[in-house]
Amino acid sequence: MTAGMLTGRMRVSTDTIFRLRELGIFAALMFCLLFFGVKANNFLTVTNWQDIGTDVAIVAAVAVGETMVVLTRNIDLSVGSIIGLTAYISSNTLQHHHHASLVVIALLAMGVGLLCGLGNGILVALGRIPAIIATLATLAIYRGILFEITNGQNVLASNLPQNFLNLSSRNFAGIPSLAWMAIVVAAFGAALLRWVPWARDFYAIGSNPDAARFTGIPVARRLVAAFMLSGLLAGLGGFMFAARFAGVDATSANGYEFLIVTAVVIGGVNVFGGSGTVLGAMLGAVLVATINDGFTLMRFSQFWQEFFQGAAIVVAVTVDAIMFRKLQDVLRRRRRPELANVGGRR
Amino acid sequence: MRLVGRLLLRWEALLVVLIFAAGVWSTTLSPFFLHRANLLDLTTPYAYLGIMAFGLTFVVVAGEIDISVASTMTVSAVSFAQLWHAGVNVWLASLVGLLIAAGLGLVNGVLIAILNLPSLAVTLGTLAAYRGLAYVILGGNARSGFPTSFTNIGGGYIHNELPYALLVLIGTAIVLGVVLHSTRFGRYLYTIGANREASRFSGVPDTRVRVSIFVLSGLTAGVAGIVYLGYFGSVQADAASGSELITVVTAVVLGGVDIFGGAGTMVGVFLALILVAELRNGMQLANVGGAAQDIVVGGLLLGAILAGNVVRAAQERGLPWWRARRPQKEVEKTESHAQISVNPGSETTQGGFTR
Repeated sequence: MTAGMLTGRMRVSTDTIFRLRELGIFAALMFCLLFFGVKANNFLTVTNWQDIGTDVAIVAAVAVGETMVVLTRNIDLSVGSIIGLTAYISSNTLQHHHHASLVVIALLAMGVGLLCGLGNGILVALGRIPAIIATLATLAIYRGILFEITNGQNVLASNLPQNFLNLSSRNFAGIPSLAWMAIVVAAFGAALLRWVPWARDFYAIGSNPDAARFTGIPVARRLVAAFMLSGLLAGLGGFMFAARFAGVDATSANGYEFLIVTAVVIGGVNVFGGSGTVLGAMLGAVLVATINDGFTLMRFSQFWQEFFQGAAIVVAVTVDAIMFRKLQDVLRRRRRPELANVGGRR
Repeated sequence: MRLVGRLLLRWEALLVVLIFAAGVWSTTLSPFFLHRANLLDLTTPYAYLGIMAFGLTFVVVAGEIDISVASTMTVSAVSFAQLWHAGVNVWLASLVGLLIAAGLGLVNGVLIAILNLPSLAVTLGTLAAYRGLAYVILGGNARSGFPTSFTNIGGGYIHNELPYALLVLIGTAIVLGVVLHSTRFGRYLYTIGANREASRFSGVPDTRVRVSIFVLSGLTAGVAGIVYLGYFGSVQADAASGSELITVVTAVVLGGVDIFGGAGTMVGVFLALILVAELRNGMQLANVGGAAQDIVVGGLLLGAILAGNVVRAAQERGLPWWRARRPQKEVEKTESHAQISVNPGSETTQGGFTR
């Protein structure tokens, strides 16, 4: 089933379905803006949006890496622990070396994240452990390592150099600097998935792992690469986390993996692999952050927020599955009308 | 003799050896390890995790996964506590707690089996959603002070020595073991886990069975909630939100249940639970902190799956050094036989017919 075999009309129809998915998120976002704009005080103010921008930046940057992993029909649950681990490492290093260059610290955090991602990738690609189990285990292992190296200590904001603390409060062209970092990461990720052949392979692997193997794609190496990218960006996320929250301890970023997976899945990156865009994931991250912010401003119970986040994953997965089946059905009917309903009920 | 050999080669035998090894290690750490009271009490802190693991075994054997069990347990325990606090009879409240747990399992089952969604994604979502639900029900409060007749289930002792929790654990294992290994329902799980398409074509009501396993998994989470309440005597909405889930999954996988479905025994899971309990107990005796224990348990989980994968690969293809030599030897005998042994995946059925 190559693209050449499809007629122009068919390609339009499949493209439209994917566009509709992103448009749906966009519509939901607009609805939220309208709703909270009317209902919540101070929602449509510049400072509130700068706050949302800073909050969403960490989730968005890590979500780019998570997108790569989910595209290959895998998942990386260990990102929350990697963020915590690298946040502690970067702030603890800065605490002892006040004059260290921030770029070096960011690279250090990304390097540690890369190693964590490499571990995940090896377990999944070479050890053939289902990604959810492998990363659930490394979620506990990386968090355990963090507990061991912190030894109950935490980094206080007062011990950190001023230029690091300024990082999250400074704006460029009205946009918080952390949000700029996320924008750069997202642009980089989108370009990678659009134009770089080995990153395009993620889509191929996700839509059909066996077919990808038979066409000569080195699947194991690509999977390791996807997990390494996810770890790398989680490391960057950890650096941003440390800059944003200043004080870091062993429980930092606990549960962040759910925020990130929610953003990615709501953003239309298919958990069955093979479809989704960085733009969608970014829209998902903004939507989640907007809803959280709006609920907080409306003094809505924080407890319900958690429930809705989980429910949102389920709803997004359900919508995707139904859409995925419709899409397959459309393709099948166009290609071989007599096969239209074979395997329809599955 | 061959029977003895087969028994010795089983995964469960390895677990027994490991349990003895860990026992020897623990004895060197503390002379109190071998006291009867300590041995009987070994699994008490992990009884609720074991009960969840027994329920999860059904799900994993059928080739699915349920990572929402810990959250389900908390919702059930929290609802019980809230009802009891409101003045409902303690037994009625625990019954309602069980029903709620089964209901949450049913939600998972309907989404997965009827809407045909991947169990990983669904239970990942419900893991977060149910945790939120627990917070919605209890907020930031804690509930405690349940009647002793109730807390005895998880924390009481007969003659100050034999914990009720151990009896509940063994009882659950026996009942669920019988269901898994000697009922038609249990057999269905293995066929579904081995090949769902094939089992459907041979008349297994796979949708109904798959819904039931998630209900069962929810129900055992509810039972685990009762034991949890008894052992800890209090509950909060963040109960079992840490390394509990991974301990449950580790017990199942370390017990020899194939993570891809189709194989596994209840005895194995029970032995794995004892091993995990023993290791945690031993590490506590050795003054190893909780975080390091989590690292070890996570490593065990990964190691168990890796070991299973290596064994499976060896069964299918022969060990690397073995594979290199064996075909040449057998080519001398018969051509086709060599082919069979080299590539059983595609040739065994043919070989079976010719024989």
